Amino acid sequence: MEARPALSIQRSGASQLSNLGVSGGLSSSLSIPSTHLEGTYQKLPDIQQVPSERELTTRPQVHATRVPTNNGVVGHIFSSSSGFSSDLHYSSVLPNEKHSRNSPFISQSPADTASLPLSQSSSSLLPQPTIPSCCNKENSGSWCTDPDFLDFPVSTPVQSGQVENIQRSEDFSKQNDWQEWADQLITCDDALTSNWNELLVDNVTNLEPKMACQVAKPCTTMPTQNQQLPSPSVENLRVVNPSSSANNAPAKPRMRWTPELHEAFVEAVNQLGGSERATPKGVLKLMKVDGLTIYHVKSHLQKYRTARYRPESSEGSSEKKLTSMEEISSLDLKTGMGITEALRLQMEVQKRLHEQLEIQRNLQLRIEEQGRYLQMMFEKQKSGLDKLKVSSSNPENPAATSDATKEAPTKSELESSQRDHLDSGTGTVNNAKSMLERSSREMGGEDMATEAGDLEKTKARVSETSPELAAKRSRIEE
Amino acid sequence: MKFGKRLKQQIEETFPTWRDQFLCYKELKKLIKLISSALPIAAEPTKYGKAEAEFVYMLNNKIDKFNTFYMEQEEDFIIRHKELQQRIKRVMDKWSSNGSRTEYNDEMAKIRKDVVDFHGEMVLLENYSNINFTGLAKILKKYDKRTGGLLRLPFIQKVLKQPFFTTDLVSNLVKECENTIDEVLFPIEEDKEETKEQKGAIMVAREPVKGIFRNTVAALLTMEEIRRVSSTKDHFSLPPLNLSHSHLIHSFQLNSPIPIL
Repeated sequence: MEARPALSIQRSGASQLSNLGVSGGLSSSLSIPSTHLEGTYQKLPDIQQVPSERELTTRPQVHATRVPTNNGVVGHIFSSSSGFSSDLHYSSVLPNEKHSRNSPFISQSPADTASLPLSQSSSSLLPQPTIPSCCNKENSGSWCTDPDFLDFPVSTPVQSGQVENIQRSEDFSKQNDWQEWADQLITCDDALTSNWNELLVDNVTNLEPKMACQVAKPCTTMPTQNQQLPSPSVENLRVVNPSSSANNAPAKPRMRWTPELHEAFVEAVNQLGGSERATPKGVLKLMKVDGLTIYHVKSHLQKYRTARYRPESSEGSSEKKLTSMEEISSLDLKTGMGITEALRLQMEVQKRLHEQLEIQRNLQLRIEEQGRYLQMMFEKQKSGLDKLKVSSSNPENPAATSDATKEAPTKSELESSQRDHLDSGTGTVNNAKSMLERSSREMGGEDMATEAGDLEKTKARVSETSPELAAKRSRIEE
Repeated sequence: MKFGKRLKQQIEETFPTWRDQFLCYKELKKLIKLISSALPIAAEPTKYGKAEAEFVYMLNNKIDKFNTFYMEQEEDFIIRHKELQQRIKRVMDKWSSNGSRTEYNDEMAKIRKDVVDFHGEMVLLENYSNINFTGLAKILKKYDKRTGGLLRLPFIQKVLKQPFFTTDLVSNLVKECENTIDEVLFPIEEDKEETKEQKGAIMVAREPVKGIFRNTVAALLTMEEIRRVSSTKDHFSLPPLNLSHSHLIHSFQLNSPIPIL
């Protein structure tokens, strides 16, 4: 294969690496293979900007910029993004695995990650149905050409457990199981958990979170076409970046605290003699909440302690303090009225903002719901029409569409009249009207019109009578 | 670009520690530009798919960031809320029955201030959540428009479920705060008139202003601006915001002493 020579160069490049976390070395080694695999890699001119904006996790893309190749087309990123896509597939696997072990609290966060569009299934990764298969092919193709990526981490001084993982997976590749293994990883959940368990040789500390950390690593190093650091997919799991040493903070899947949970926490702390004397372990034991790890408790306890001491010194959070000059200038308005009046005023403004935010949020929810409903109708209608086209002869089709068009004018009139209340510019009215016309013609559903009408009424209400906020809220929430 | 400008303004007005927690709207726009100019969807579907994956990856990263930040703040709020309540109880128990009236008032004044600030911060967190969501929605819309993709709808559905957008908990805390303030704290004001000016002076001197008031005003005004009728309005857009007393609120707009670039 033509990629072979590239890989040998890469291997030598790998030996120069000192640390997985160091991305600099990677780029030099990457630049060589890219010239061989032409057409796949191309320069992305502006991508330099992006890494500065992003965190460590996205550093792999920096490599793209240093690749000297054909210009103008967005390139390397996309070939690497195939790695990403598979990374994200994996991140969908791992939360599932963790889910079996963890509590509802924790699973909430991985589940959230999993709920992100990429993670659910390969097909949901990209809307067009054809693309996932292309991606998969690309991925597997790339893996086939670069099986020696596994050599990379081996030469780096990472945790021994990981090295073993990599070696084990290297064996996999040498057995030419790439294709099947890749497919398994992307599609199957349950089968995978057993796979992962096989893969993992945990010589390193066996804490659960650590396990998740370990699991994350090998999976990310496998499929990546261009030596993606494990961090991207790891970050997706909100696991602490494993490029740091083994002793550093292990996986901390983000936990969402609730007041009830906090109550239990406080009780446990009080039982143990106060925030100073309580230990995380003790609190954890007393709380007896599934899936709560000691790290969660530790960090929460820390916050709790600082919060208790803050009121004692009656100071606000120091990082939020403005300079004294700003203080005085911003208070000028308020001092005239005396402090309580100022507080009242502040309260009023805050309340106002809060109400507006609530309204806005509800509106956004409804809008999206509406959009989803429309989409659903559209698809239903489309599939219906397709079936019609496939199964029946011509005469039926014109009949169906003419019915739809007949309904459309009346509906759009109704909607446009409502929109006129709402919009000021005629341009926008026409835009919206034509959009709705098109969609209603295609759908021919009456329900859609009433839904659209409802939403318009809601919007009109919101914009017209904003001062009566309380009444507004009740009406919208009906 | 209007939203981009507004977002930038909002970021400038916000707390320093929050500044880089917002959506990097501009960057995403640039990325879209690159994608759309480089890859007409018809030409190379596989490359387009990768481009889209890349874009989605970036968005997911942002969302993760939002989530982490939001949940962190949320946790803090939960703790503080409980603490404030306990403080109130303590002060009420300690001073209201016996003990000097002035000390009681002092303590209550402090608590009052803290509660109002606390309320303000929570509301600003909600604002943070909302603005980022709006930004995401807009950027997705742009993406679909420029590249002819169909990313927006399914993606937004997922976003709706994210922790950073499910602000119910914070919202409840806010409401509880408001109740506490209405019922417990402010009614105690009545007999304090004579010492008001005095208190005002003292409080001014050592008040750790967090810029909350300023931020809140800025947030309201930004929201108003963003929702003004725009050129690309469709049935996914929010209607204009009708802020009553908006002149009054405008007058509160305070200039930032140091322009932030």
